Parts: sequence; structure tokens; C-alpha cells
Amino acid sequence: MLELLLNFSQSTGIYWFMNSPWGWPIAESIHFLGLCLLIGTVGVFDLRMLGMANGLSYAALHKLVPCGVVGYLMNVTTGAMFLTTSPDQYLFNPAFQTKLFFMLIAGLNMLLFYFTTAAAVKNSPAIATLPGRARAIAAISLLCWCGVIVCGRLITYFRPPYHWCFWC
Amino acid sequence: MAFVVGINVAVGLRLVGVAPKIPLQRIINFYPLHWYCTIAILVSGLALLAAYPAKALTNPVFYLKLTALIIGLGLSRYFQIKLQKEHSPTELNKLKLLGILSLFLWIVTITSGRFLAYTHNTLLASRFY
Repeated sequence: MLELLLNFSQSTGIYWFMNSPWGWPIAESIHFLGLCLLIGTVGVFDLRMLGMANGLSYAALHKLVPCGVVGYLMNVTTGAMFLTTSPDQYLFNPAFQTKLFFMLIAGLNMLLFYFTTAAAVKNSPAIATLPGRARAIAAISLLCWCGVIVCGRLITYFRPPYHWCFWC
Repeated sequence: MAFVVGINVAVGLRLVGVAPKIPLQRIINFYPLHWYCTIAILVSGLALLAAYPAKALTNPVFYLKLTALIIGLGLSRYFQIKLQKEHSPTELNKLKLLGILSLFLWIVTITSGRFLAYTHNTLLASRFY
């Protein structure tokens, strides 16, 4: 697995870029900007579903979400660049593993939202309070993205082999 | 930081014309949360500065971040006050330009913040004595 990821990085030029003087901070900056784009669109929509900014149309605010998808793609691309360049520092890192767990929950939660609740939410009047299920989905989404941010920040402090965690 | 920048991104995107059906008078209702989060980043930022003052204060990138952050927060306050009422098309054009400036300033804040870790040449002031 490690070799596969590293070979991909080296054969595509990612490894060279990331090990150039400004490669890593440039990728990190794009990663952070993508995250802010995600929080500014999906996160703000979650806050709205939880009742903040009452009177703001759900359908209108949802139009910002495609920008959040762009942010997510920026994150996935730069995240893959980090992972493939130093796979040993990520795959065995408990903070990274926890981050992936939160991303998985956020993804499943998003699927649940679009398959069960999105249409009703978008058709709800701007002054309506949403049903419990929609608010629970929004709360889980916000918590997961906060978890992703915190775990992302902790990655650097749990680099193998000097770390401790429950399952290490 | 993600919430401070995120809420400004939402307002900035709206001002530049994304999702034009979002009423400007309503989107500013996210600003109270923005200011609570601003307090959190100021407290944590001051703690980091207190821990490694020489690292930041000897790095020009730190001043770039600080300048972009202060102007960005000033623009946030301006939007919060200004967007409470209806605007003429001329005023909206001016606000659009300020929205672009705001988005640019937050990009500078994030990027310079990240580059801080890679551009410092002094970690501790004890190096000098």
C-alpha cells in the first residue's frame, strides 16, 4: 500500500512538487481555502437548518452548496497529494484515521440528507422550523466537519512512530 | 478560523453574484456567530504569539497576515452595518467590489498564515543572547 501510493506520487510529479521549496505550504493553503469554502457554504446551510438566520430561504441558501463541492474537491485533491507523498506519516497516524472516520460519517450523513430530507427542506418556507430529522442531520454534519478540522490540525502532533492512542 | 472565514466567504460570494436570491438583509444574521468565533481566534492567536513572540514578530509574513486580517474584519463590520437596508444598483456595484476585496483578503490571511510555519528564521529570542 505504502509503495503503491508513493509510486503514484513519484510517477505523476506530485512528489517532486511537494518536495520543492514551496510545494507543501502551497498545497496546505489550498487545503485550508477549500475547507473555508466548505464551511462557508455547507456549514452555513447546516447552521440555517439548525435555526440560525431565521427568515433566510433554505432554497436560496442551498444555491451556495455547489461552491462547497468545489471546496471539497480542492480538499480531496490536496489531501491526496499529502497522503501519496508521505503515506507512512498518514496511514499509521491516529489523527488521520479519525479524520477519515469523520469524513465517512459526513459523507453518509450527506447521502441520507439528499435521499430523505433535502427536497422537503428546500421547499420549506423561510420562516419554518425544520423537523427533528433535518436538524439532527445538520448537527451531525457540523460536528463531523468540526471533527475533520480538529483532527486535520492534530495530524502533525501524532506522526508515527512517536504517538499514543487507544488502538495504536 | 474556518467559521470566521466561512461566513465571510458566504457573504462575499453573495455580493459577487453567486446565489442572487439570498436576501442580503438576512445573510448578515450569521455575523453574531462570526464575532464569537473572532474572539476565539484572537484569544488563541494571542496565546500562540505569547508562546513564540520572536517567531512571529521577526517574520514579515506575520504582518501581512495581521494587516489582511484587520482589514478583513473591518470589512465584515462594514457589511454587517451596511447590508441592513436596501441598496441602489450603484451601491450594489460598490458592495460587489468590496465583496471581491473581502474574499481576496481572506485568501491572503489563510495563505500567509500557512506560510508562517515555513518562513520564520527565528524560533526563540534566546538565539540573540
